Amino acid sequence: MATRINESTLADEATFIAAEGLKRRSLLRLAVSGGTLATLGPLANAQSVTPKRGGTLVIGADADPIGLDPVTVTAYSSYDFTALLYTGLFRWNADMKVELDLAAGYIAPNDTTYIIRLRQGVKFHNGQDFTAEDVKHTFDRILDPASASPSATLFSGIKAVTVIDPFTVKFELKAPSATFLSYLATNPNGVIVPKGVADLKTKPVGTGPFVFESYEPNQQFTLKANPNYYEDKQPYLSTVVFKFFKDQASISSALRSKAIDMTWFKDPKVSAQIVKSSPDLASAPGKTSRTFPVWMSMKAKPFNDVRVRRALSLATDRKACLQTVLGGSGKVGAMVPESQVGGYDGVGPMPYYKTDVVAAKKLLTEAGYPNGIDLGDYIVVAANALDVQCAQVLQQQWAAAGIKVNIKPMETAPLIGLWLKGDFGLLSIALSWSPDPDAIVSRLLSTGSQGKGIGMADAPLDKLIEDARAILDNTKRAAAYQQIQKHIADQAYILQIYQYPLRWEAWRKYVKGYVPLAANIRTFVRTTWLDK
Amino acid sequence: MMSIGLLMLASLVVITLFGTWIAPYNPSETSADSLAGPTAAHWLGTDSIGRDLLSRLIVGGRTTLLITFVAVTLAVCCGLVLGLFCGYVGGLADQVVMRVLDVVFAFPVFLLAIAVVAALGPSVPNLILTIAIVYTPRLARVVRGPVLSVKRWDHVEAARSVGVSEFNIATRHVLPLIVSPVLVETSLTLAQTIFTITALSFLGLGPPPPDPNWGAMLSEARQFMELAPLTVIGPAAAIVFATLTFIVLANGLRERLDVASR
Amino acid sequence: MRRLVLIRLAWMLPILLGVSVVAFLLMRALPGDFAQASAGTTELAPEALNIIRRDLGLDRPVWEQYLRWLAKLLEGDFGDSFTTHKPVLGELLPRLAVTAELTLIAGLMAMAMGASSGLASARWRGRTDWLVRGINGLFLAVPNFVIATLIVLLAGLYFPEVGIFNYTPFLTDPLGNLGSMLLPAFSLALAVSVTISENTRAAVLEVSSQDFVMVARAKGLRPSTILWQYLVRNALTPIITVTGLQLASLLGGSILIETIFTIPGMGQYLFDAVSSRNYPVVQAIVLVAATIVLLVNVLVDVAYARVDARVSYE
Repeated sequence: MATRINESTLADEATFIAAEGLKRRSLLRLAVSGGTLATLGPLANAQSVTPKRGGTLVIGADADPIGLDPVTVTAYSSYDFTALLYTGLFRWNADMKVELDLAAGYIAPNDTTYIIRLRQGVKFHNGQDFTAEDVKHTFDRILDPASASPSATLFSGIKAVTVIDPFTVKFELKAPSATFLSYLATNPNGVIVPKGVADLKTKPVGTGPFVFESYEPNQQFTLKANPNYYEDKQPYLSTVVFKFFKDQASISSALRSKAIDMTWFKDPKVSAQIVKSSPDLASAPGKTSRTFPVWMSMKAKPFNDVRVRRALSLATDRKACLQTVLGGSGKVGAMVPESQVGGYDGVGPMPYYKTDVVAAKKLLTEAGYPNGIDLGDYIVVAANALDVQCAQVLQQQWAAAGIKVNIKPMETAPLIGLWLKGDFGLLSIALSWSPDPDAIVSRLLSTGSQGKGIGMADAPLDKLIEDARAILDNTKRAAAYQQIQKHIADQAYILQIYQYPLRWEAWRKYVKGYVPLAANIRTFVRTTWLDK
Repeated sequence: MMSIGLLMLASLVVITLFGTWIAPYNPSETSADSLAGPTAAHWLGTDSIGRDLLSRLIVGGRTTLLITFVAVTLAVCCGLVLGLFCGYVGGLADQVVMRVLDVVFAFPVFLLAIAVVAALGPSVPNLILTIAIVYTPRLARVVRGPVLSVKRWDHVEAARSVGVSEFNIATRHVLPLIVSPVLVETSLTLAQTIFTITALSFLGLGPPPPDPNWGAMLSEARQFMELAPLTVIGPAAAIVFATLTFIVLANGLRERLDVASR
Repeated sequence: MRRLVLIRLAWMLPILLGVSVVAFLLMRALPGDFAQASAGTTELAPEALNIIRRDLGLDRPVWEQYLRWLAKLLEGDFGDSFTTHKPVLGELLPRLAVTAELTLIAGLMAMAMGASSGLASARWRGRTDWLVRGINGLFLAVPNFVIATLIVLLAGLYFPEVGIFNYTPFLTDPLGNLGSMLLPAFSLALAVSVTISENTRAAVLEVSSQDFVMVARAKGLRPSTILWQYLVRNALTPIITVTGLQLASLLGGSILIETIFTIPGMGQYLFDAVSSRNYPVVQAIVLVAATIVLLVNVLVDVAYARVDARVSYE
């Protein structure tokens, strides 16, 4: 499948380029820019057996979707569903590289323009034809303030979207962006919605491999295969059913009793246990895509003293946290997870990462706290069991250096309110995969609302971050972000503990062709088939 | 019956008062040795982040029982005052107070608990407050009933006619008669409170970590049932033991005091 | 008696009003609101959050929101759920039916188990009696969610082919539905069966010590008929009242069972609604739950008054 896309694309593009009479520079950019074309990846190997068609895949889910309109959806739990109902111009492949999807090819005549040629003959689930008008409509909606779209900030760099002909769209950006294509590839931010369809929240209509059939809240969500899906022979399944469960124990039991074929777990120990006990279960940890940071608000004492922050970092034994909480399934983390441009892969030194309780005490004494210090409330998300566990481990570790904290689990909504405003002392909220590392590090910009809220005032760091945004070369970008992360660790603006896959996926061995994605959505259900 | 109950109660009281000293380890002390089975070092094994299970059960018992005893005492006091007031005074005041209590009574327990915890934060005092609020109407009702009937009895009327003050009548004649049903109801309430507290902790509304408490321990351990069954059986057995204590006490009291009411 | 019942029913209205006001205020006292809760970790600009609030009417003053809600309620409209944008009543009634069904099955199970164990206990004293009362004590002491958890664990380990989570709605498949309700109902029934057992046992014991048994025998009536008549007349009332009380409070207890067995009942609905700050749903559930509790209370008080003539309710 991937092969076919590449061939047609290259052939078409050759004609296209010739017709437009482009400069050599642009051709080079095609190859090198942030959107590298797809490699075949593991899918090629998987397709050596002929997939069987038909059947129903039952997936266990732990949260209901809240709204199915990709332009307005905010709840992470909806992403599973939008990933199957909608597709975008580009998508992520199994190796986390951007590849073509609804786009048949594209040209970037200069740094800020993308001319995208669209696939022809694609129909929406309601029979409507997919054209450039739908692309324009989608982005008009996203950028319209009245939509209150969470994707608006991601695409705020778009200056104009123009329809050139029914199958060609032109995007003009305000400034060069290394991540524009990455965002286009991300579900649900970059997916295309049909023009003229009103209520997508409850009656979703897209171009995805599966069509919405029915939804019973807290019970079941049913999808049927899209007979007009444009990828040859896909999807193999005829039905996909999501069943909702409230907790991990019920999900484990359901998986074991074959009430569901596939699910994902939040705790690697649970996942390991269940796979060990059932020989016909397979699992994959996915790529590390989530970090567990300890945020500090540096507006006031004692956090405005870098010695206190460094002492905290020295008192932390990251490896022990990793071992105790995750059973070793993860890596020591920095600001950006490993599975992205410039992520820290858990090996190699970061400043103040080596545990040294004696040095920590010394720093505290220098800062004026010879007898230890009470840092007050340490707020964590009550619903994340792993976070709460790690917080308790950290509390014990810090106590050994004379640092006392009081753990305060809180509901997610109020916690986020405090976090965004900087109204806290210590707070942990995990950061998940995002297509662009800039989205993660720019929280520490002293010019940003969040940075201001926590008292950031590091002009050199601001410059590093802003410069990194504009770098288009992947290798250079990676190096720049490594430097940023080292600087952050050196100043201990934020303590990063470990990084781990957001979920551990487990499925019955008769489920074939499924590949977990670091982007944390189940797009590869489209290549899944049942060997039953 | 009674003697067994008192013995069990005594053990619970000891745990409540001296728990932190009896426990072999610091219940918050983590280690990398998670979900281990029973060993010489850890008699009941360890939990998901390597803490000693036995210590957590003992100290968790202390927290759970402390909340139970204090909350129920509070509820009994308020219930006594309100019940005596209503039963004695009667009339409109009685009706109004009882209806206000009905509002509390009609409110789903969990909504109240969730709301208090979300608004004020999960902590031991807030939990005590919630439980006390929830069980006061029940106890007030139990007190009020006998008071209503007793205050019309002949010898009480006789005392009144002779000129004994109402207060003396209340304390000397009425109060002793309600002792038995109140005692029985109290021990039943204690049993129910254990259930409520563990249920609330199970749902995540109990005292915050790292303080151990049985309900939260049980809830957390459900995922690891096969890896380390003791992490489930331990808290379950503890909950059963505590509840059983109060039920046995209630039954024993009923037999002793020979309460004939149905 | 009739006057008493009417007075209590009349009082229900102001009480329910009070309950709804308390629920309204309590929900708004919770930190965060629906807009924030649904945004999760995605950062939305304050304007975006305000748009969501305006659409749901959350930007109006609290008293105005309450009066609007009340006005709609009087027309029979419970409002729309914030998360699904569908009418709350339409979502609530099926869930109420499910919880009611669960409760009913649990009640029937409890009566069957309790009556038979109580009978056995009283008829064949000695060791049977001791055994039954011991087991009763144990049942009472084990919380229903612990039982439920153990059932789920055992089923998963030793009977992996048995589908425990296959809840099917009644209308789709009546037999399957009943099958999926058996285990959860059993978890709930155990504790309730104890009271029934104790009461049955007490009633049967009283009967056997009565003189009229001998008289009846002399008249030619069979002891079992007498036993039955006596039971019905005397033991049934306390059994029903106590069962009624316990079942009415099951809305709280069933949250746990519904969660563990993934049954779409009221308990789960309430918990989710509070977490997501889904105000209309919470209001509706509180109202329904309170009504049930109050009604059952009235029934219980009436039954008690019939039993104990000494209690006066001036």
